[in-house]
Amino acid sequence: MKLAVQLVEALCVFVVIFYLYCRSPAFQPLRLDRPRGRVRLYLVFTGIAVLGNYLGVPVVGGQAIVNARAVGSVLAGLLGGPVLGFLVGATAGIHRVTALTGIAALAGAISTTVEGVLAGLVHFALKRRPERLMTPWVAAATTFVGEVVHMVIVLYLSGPQSGDIVRAIGPPMVVANPVGAALFMLVVLERQREQDRVAAASSARALEVAERTLRLLGRGIDQRTAGELAAIIKEKTGVAAVGVTDTEHILGWAGMGADHHLPGGAISSPYTRQSIAENAVVFADGRRQSYNCTVSPGCQLASMVIAPLQVDGAVVGTVQLFEPRHRRFLNMNKSLGEGLAALLSSQLVIARYQEQKSLLVMSELKLAQAQVNPHFLFNALNTIIAILRRDPGRARELLIHLSNFFRKNLKRASDVSTLGEELEHVRAYLEIEKARFEGRIEVRTEVDPGLLSLRMPAFTLQPLVENAFKHGFSSTLGEGHATIRAFRDGSAAVVVVEDDAGAWQEPQERAGLGMQIVDKRVKNLYGEGWGLSVECVPQELTRVTVRLPAEGAAA
Amino acid sequence: VIRAVIVDDEPHARAELESLLQEMGAFEIVGRCANAVEAVHAIRGARPDVVFLDIQMPAIDGFELLSMIDDDELPEIVFVTAHDEHALRAFEERAIDYLLKPIARERLAKTVERLQRRRGAWPAAASLPRSPIRRIPCLAGKAIKLVDLAEVELVRSSEAGVYVITARGELFTELTLRVLEERAGLLRCHKQYLVNIDQVDEIRPDDEAGATIRTRSGKEAPVSRRFLPRLRERLEI
Repeated sequence: MKLAVQLVEALCVFVVIFYLYCRSPAFQPLRLDRPRGRVRLYLVFTGIAVLGNYLGVPVVGGQAIVNARAVGSVLAGLLGGPVLGFLVGATAGIHRVTALTGIAALAGAISTTVEGVLAGLVHFALKRRPERLMTPWVAAATTFVGEVVHMVIVLYLSGPQSGDIVRAIGPPMVVANPVGAALFMLVVLERQREQDRVAAASSARALEVAERTLRLLGRGIDQRTAGELAAIIKEKTGVAAVGVTDTEHILGWAGMGADHHLPGGAISSPYTRQSIAENAVVFADGRRQSYNCTVSPGCQLASMVIAPLQVDGAVVGTVQLFEPRHRRFLNMNKSLGEGLAALLSSQLVIARYQEQKSLLVMSELKLAQAQVNPHFLFNALNTIIAILRRDPGRARELLIHLSNFFRKNLKRASDVSTLGEELEHVRAYLEIEKARFEGRIEVRTEVDPGLLSLRMPAFTLQPLVENAFKHGFSSTLGEGHATIRAFRDGSAAVVVVEDDAGAWQEPQERAGLGMQIVDKRVKNLYGEGWGLSVECVPQELTRVTVRLPAEGAAA
Repeated sequence: VIRAVIVDDEPHARAELESLLQEMGAFEIVGRCANAVEAVHAIRGARPDVVFLDIQMPAIDGFELLSMIDDDELPEIVFVTAHDEHALRAFEERAIDYLLKPIARERLAKTVERLQRRRGAWPAAASLPRSPIRRIPCLAGKAIKLVDLAEVELVRSSEAGVYVITARGELFTELTLRVLEERAGLLRCHKQYLVNIDQVDEIRPDDEAGATIRTRSGKEAPVSRRFLPRLRERLEI
């Protein structure tokens, strides 16, 4: 009985040590999904098992030790499975045999290993139901059975003195070790519950932020929304300062340093630039690496986490959390910062999606308008009526072109068209315009025939040609020339519409809006790297270039 | 007979309107113009009773064209356009009628009625303030050049016509000195000269009561005694 009390005392020392370890920063969540986590578990429980040898009470003249080794191997088996249980048991057993002496050493070593494997089998059996595996009762019962097996093995292997040994060590170990294992399991469980609580608290905060930012970010991110955003995040995380940037400027700032981290200021911190360039979370804990404000030498901020905001894989900005020199950067806030950036990114994606949806509605409307462009229609009819007097055959042809033009116009704006179809649409349009301006305009077409199947949004080409007419020919009194070209440029297909008037003006005008819509629709279909650009040499030429991926053309 | 000028940049539209007018039997077509510059020339040269004027035209639209014609020389205006978004403004410009293309015969007959009723009331109604001229259409050889007002240094009139003088040379224009003085903000310094006040480099008094202006590029123009005080006032000297 005295031995049992001594063993319980030893176990209590143990549990205290283990408890302290669990509370220390060195403790990491029990992770079995990574090799490093397994190695860590192995080391911890081997440590416990070996310590169990030393904290034991030698009996029967030092031939045996009343020990708590089993606690280590059983817990390892329960938490990590048979392999880990085996390894911990075997290591501690080898230690028992080599470092300490006694007749019972070999039996102890074998039985510890057996107990590890036994616990591993329990782990295996209850793997699917962790809530039943991770209980003090299971730990106690497994240890109890394990220790009984231990005694049996000692009886068989320890020779003539085995009876004495079992009588000496059996009762205390069979009684005390299950209690110890249960206590260990309680500590582990408590630690896990606390982690869950922290995780729950930070997800609750993240969700609160999300709830408040969702409406804000519906308008996309700009200086107005960024300031509010920073204030919300600061309020909810409690960090000293929060910054929101795009890829070049500070958009919003809340908290410490707001006097010199001004919205609109250029990004100067190398950490921010690194985060943007690598699309990665950058952390400086304030000790090994610290944040050094490049704007003001008096800035107190020293530690930070910078997480990129991304839309479709491209970085559009960052969210930054800061703490000053005298305050530790909480791990929770670090992961919260990362989480928030991911969450805000997805909100931005939603905002962008909505913007694109309204853009599409707008372009539908614009195109619906174009479908009944009154000037074009009535001038065309007037021209045909005039030609009808002298040349009914030509008038008939023009009416057919006009029908073709309007038929193509009836296509839905959301349809995808091919370069060939677009060229037919343009040809119908050009036939009418040529008749209207008889001889004053000349349009050349140079198209790589391999690109005729190139896919693009419907109504890409015609608005560009119409624009060349509106702004090109309408500003010259003489003749107007235009060229439509399509060619390959590496992996890109390039479509160029060029006129010789050089009268392009920045898009305050409606035609400018038309061009923007063409650009956005191409980007919608193919992504940010593609789209439209305009060059203008005044009085000389205006060149509108559309770049599309050449895979859009079937080989 | 009503003498008419047709202004439209589309040849078929001109031809169609001409055919229709001739079918009416009341018109003599005295000018067919494809742009505003030809139109100024035809209106000043042929002195028509009426101009059928397209609004949407290259470089200078129908409204701008009207501001380039002296009130005394301004005939009746009938706007002809494909779309009615300009109707209100057209009547503010004291147009007698506003036709939509394609033109129906019956509608054109009404225009003829209006024109004939109005004939007794000619000359045309009192002038209204017009939009200012910002570019002056000039002839450079056969080509038409639109000279920005800021580039103009002097305008000179002679028996051969009116010439716009810039740092790069002289160009002939159909516009009159009076129109340019009233609507382009150029200042009269002599019976035959206008000056762009922003281009004056120096004013040198003569022996008599007049003076001579030198422009930034070194061109000279006389200032007559009559206009000198006003010039001084504008230059604040």
